Amino acid sequence: MSEALWGPGARAKTSLDMVALRQAWLLAVNDLRQEARDLELILTSTFFSLVVLIMLGMSFSALGVSSQPLAVPGMLWLSVAFVGALTLGRIFTREREFDTLRALLVAPVERVSIYLAKAFVTMVILLGCSLLTVLGLTLLFPAAQPFADRPLETFALVTMGCTAYAGVGTLFAAGLASSSGKNVLLSVILYPLTMPSLLFALVATRSLLEGHESFTTYLGQLTATNVLAFVVGAWLFEPVLVGVPQKRRGAARAARRRR
Amino acid sequence: MDDSPLLRLRGVGKHFGRLAVLRGLDLDLCAGEIVGLIGANGAGKSTLLSIIAGLMPPSRGERTFAGSTGVGLAERARFAVVSHTAQTYPRLTAIENLQLFASLREKAGAHNEPLLPTLERLGLGYAARRQAGTFSRGMLQRLALARALLGRPEMLLLDEPFTALDRPGRTLLANVLAQERDRGAAILLISHDLEALVSVADRVLLLEGGVIAGEVPRAPEHASFGPRVRELAGRMPSVGTEAHA
Repeated sequence: MSEALWGPGARAKTSLDMVALRQAWLLAVNDLRQEARDLELILTSTFFSLVVLIMLGMSFSALGVSSQPLAVPGMLWLSVAFVGALTLGRIFTREREFDTLRALLVAPVERVSIYLAKAFVTMVILLGCSLLTVLGLTLLFPAAQPFADRPLETFALVTMGCTAYAGVGTLFAAGLASSSGKNVLLSVILYPLTMPSLLFALVATRSLLEGHESFTTYLGQLTATNVLAFVVGAWLFEPVLVGVPQKRRGAARAARRRR
Repeated sequence: MDDSPLLRLRGVGKHFGRLAVLRGLDLDLCAGEIVGLIGANGAGKSTLLSIIAGLMPPSRGERTFAGSTGVGLAERARFAVVSHTAQTYPRLTAIENLQLFASLREKAGAHNEPLLPTLERLGLGYAARRQAGTFSRGMLQRLALARALLGRPEMLLLDEPFTALDRPGRTLLANVLAQERDRGAAILLISHDLEALVSVADRVLLLEGGVIAGEVPRAPEHASFGPRVRELAGRMPSVGTEAHA
């Protein structure tokens, strides 16, 4: 977050954080408004989800009901991982093509607001696609019926899983957006780093389908992963985009010398 | 008016790996003046602008704007940048593009000029409700300038602002810049178009070898540029040195 306090009276830090949240909301609404006009991301992600769903349905239709609780979580989160990579690869497309990221970076906009807005839009698209996948899996596989029986838990689980994925992924998508032609690296970096949250989500989904009490524990762990992803993402976003100011690097070197 | 420079660069250097682009550059920019910066392709003009705008930390040296070395919200609310790319959202109308940045500024507690008059000032009032994606490059350039003028910036940084403009557009830009200078804004114009710079700027500096190599004498006070400037200008495709000779 920017180091300078704002305004002649130097407002408190909490007030700055409210500025960041308000600006993040404005940027997210702006992104969604543009998305509503060209439907580029929504259409791509939705059709991709549908194709994955149809292929999974055709491939695993003969799977026994007893084996389905083992396979359905994998289908759901594999779909999220693929759609997520697709979405993240394109979430900064407008910024890259029209260089609008630079306009935001030189404007009085908290850098963390850009991160939060992009993560939110990614999460919304990912959540929509995941809910579509959940609905399809429920219709295709009898063992996925608990998704329909426990809609609140299902919604919380999918939301947490998508949020963690968006939190980690947006940071790297931003870093690669500022260096053109390196989008191919996104998947290479993205999958290993999102693996912990995907694994937590996978295990939590399985316990939901099997009706285990451990579901809430896994959901809690997933929530903790979310918090960690967003704290690290918010902390690293500005250095990833504009580099580390010389003073901070100098201070770190001086501290190392003192030690 | 305070005589101390609004922007002060001291010993600013920037290297990318082993390639040194800027080598200890000094520059002062005062309120109410237009400074032009000319240099050949790859001289480091855009790198310098990025450092001034806080988009890139210098490898060494110090950049001070309004007495502060930081580039936080408070500083960014006081200057504006117009890049050689328009940096506008094509799916938004001209007025929506301005509205977005005005709202972001408002949330940060900064002042804004009225939107439509700002567009009209740049000759874009008739296209306020058109999506920016339908604009010509010159119109986009003017939209970017309108966005920059929204907050009555104390410092205006412009990178190749003349590139996409036709002659009326250039005249309009020159007039707007003169008005901004007269109200006390400090303006840094970066270009490789010597003719355009000389016609607008109070002084034109030559960026070469990663430092400010000297000041370009302004026509018509001087019959011709010095041999070094002529040589440099001769290497720039858009500059006709014979026009100044």
